[in-house]
Amino acid sequence: MGDTLVTIVAIVLAAILMFVFPVMTMSDRTDEMSQLSVETATTEFVDTVRTTGKLTADNYDRFVQVINSTGNTYDIEMEAKILDENPGKKTTQVQADKIGENVYYSKYTSQLLDELYTEDGDKKSISFKEGDYFSASVKNTNTTLSQQFKNFFYTVTGNDTYTVSAQHGGLITANGAK
Amino acid sequence: MKIQYLAVIFIIIILPISLILDSYVKSQIETLDLQILYDSKLNDATYDAIKAFQLNTVNSSTSDLVNSKMRDIEASVNTFFTTIASNFNMAGYNSDVLKNYVPALVYTLYDGYYIYSPYTNILNDTEVSSGSEYQDGEKRYGLKPYIYYSCRYKNANLDVVINYSLDNYISIQGTRNGIGISKAGYLIDNVEVSDNGNTVKYRGINIEEESPLEEYVGQTKYPYIKINGVKYYQDTDGSWFSLLNGEKSKQDTLQGGSNDAAKRYYKEAYEFRQWLTNNGILELKESDAVDENGNKLNNLVDENGDAIYQFSNQNIFTYQENNVTSIEEPTSRFNQHRLAIIRRSIERNLSIAIANYNRYTNITTNFQMPRLKEEEWDSILNNVCMISFLQGLSIGGKVYNGYAIIPNNVNEEVVTEDSIYIAERNDALGNPGSYYKVGDKTLNTQDLNNYIGVFNVDFQRKSIPNVNQDAGTTQWMYYYPKPQLGSYTSIVNETNKDERLGDNIYQYLEQPGLEQLAKLYYTALGRERYGMYKLERNADELKQTYM
Repeated sequence: MGDTLVTIVAIVLAAILMFVFPVMTMSDRTDEMSQLSVETATTEFVDTVRTTGKLTADNYDRFVQVINSTGNTYDIEMEAKILDENPGKKTTQVQADKIGENVYYSKYTSQLLDELYTEDGDKKSISFKEGDYFSASVKNTNTTLSQQFKNFFYTVTGNDTYTVSAQHGGLITANGAK
Repeated sequence: MKIQYLAVIFIIIILPISLILDSYVKSQIETLDLQILYDSKLNDATYDAIKAFQLNTVNSSTSDLVNSKMRDIEASVNTFFTTIASNFNMAGYNSDVLKNYVPALVYTLYDGYYIYSPYTNILNDTEVSSGSEYQDGEKRYGLKPYIYYSCRYKNANLDVVINYSLDNYISIQGTRNGIGISKAGYLIDNVEVSDNGNTVKYRGINIEEESPLEEYVGQTKYPYIKINGVKYYQDTDGSWFSLLNGEKSKQDTLQGGSNDAAKRYYKEAYEFRQWLTNNGILELKESDAVDENGNKLNNLVDENGDAIYQFSNQNIFTYQENNVTSIEEPTSRFNQHRLAIIRRSIERNLSIAIANYNRYTNITTNFQMPRLKEEEWDSILNNVCMISFLQGLSIGGKVYNGYAIIPNNVNEEVVTEDSIYIAERNDALGNPGSYYKVGDKTLNTQDLNNYIGVFNVDFQRKSIPNVNQDAGTTQWMYYYPKPQLGSYTSIVNETNKDERLGDNIYQYLEQPGLEQLAKLYYTALGRERYGMYKLERNADELKQTYM
């Protein structure tokens, strides 16, 4: 009787150790690999915008394709902070800068995408100017295999849990041509 | 064996593998993070440096002259090292240490480029004086001699060197049938000159003398003309002055300020074309290009080894009246050839400079020029640009090998097709109006009589010293030469762009209904290009021709 119980427990333990444990570690690795590739792609995408001053639909498509090839779904957030140069324009002044100048206003993902893809399916590009800021952040929205396992063993579930994420941003360094 | 033992043995095998894999992947991610961090530090430092160069050239009235330009570039190099040192300070590197990891900095300018890298100083015994700061054979950092975007061509009659530039300006030196020839000018198609040179038409549009241009210097507005890179302002008493270090400098040789630079630009291009035809330059073929030893050039290849440019048997300079690809358009044969020559020159000299760096450094990395991507070449070949390299820093698993390319398209060096903006002289109330990019829709729906084409650098803020005699102090005043505000739909945020505007601005301006805009644009482009500093010109002789 006691032996049977021990055997059953042993089989269960062995199953967990031999099957679940390797799958769990491998799925962890997969997430880390995704993290690696998403981080590279995000930096490259943002840096292209920063140095060319131009956000093109082609570049955006390529970026989306690269990060989706990791097998997860992602939420991409972009923000462009546009510098309004006009408030700083005075005939003459002694200080190089004054309080109240350098006004920025922001455009967010949906506005930028509206400009990139027109209603009739045309692909466009958005030009920024020197002094604007551009940033993008990416988070996975699906529950990855490793998250599922973790949730199964120790519940950390919630709306905001993500394992793969990357963000990059910075000053735009050149006027986008045409 | 009991099943429990099997499981335990399995774990004993799997656990170390998993642990090692885990730490390996983590260290890879850390390396990558560090690489991204270094990339953005390098980008920031390069941007700071090119910005310093831009500010210096915009605010200096002598920045066209060679020694002044070198001074500006050396200041920019200092900015680069200061920024990179303060960015890297957290990591324990200072400016002197970091210098060892920077094999070269490159400044690509209008008609050539500077490479900043170490060299061995050569000082002969006859030249050395006691107490000399420099020594023979010592390692110094500095700008190497300016390298022009040039190429040598050789055929049955001709043996010439052609210098190219970032626009359609070329200069030619060499011999034709053993007799020396030398000439420089712009390559422009579709120019008609008639009526003894009084009527100049470009693409069917009559180019006329403009009314005088005006801009602020400090708080006062003066009429001005720009000759060979220098702006001459007309004072209230009718005399002319230029600004030297922010102070008025009288110019007696200048008699008048007829604002006909645009007309001169197209007319001289027309004459240049005739000269090219008469001297057989138009018969030069791409395959006539040779290196300094007279050997034919190899085709250019991209990072995958695929050919991107072949020196074929076609003519380089092909004027095609009323054809789709005029010589000045970006897609013309001449432009493709020009870009290939510039690229070849930069690629060769830069890889030599970086490879040579191995002799100057005690860092054990093998310094090599990275292969740049096609889109990066694209921005190098079309703009004033700064390229910086940072190699040999250890970042965990591997050695950092990074570079940054920052183009700059607001500077006095070059007038590109994109750098002409259209500005309203003043609005209905007499206040300064707005300025727009050429592709803005606002410009195609109204009468443009009150508008003028302006070089975008003129909208940049400038500074002059304001000397207070009583207190004996000098204060810098900041002012904008042109008072117009940037249009919200075009300059601040480009939302009102005409869909017809593609990559080729010339084709856009051929559209019906845009004749007025085309006239403003072509006049301003001609005026600003003609007003640029040119090495081949004699400024004093040129000034005398202004009435």
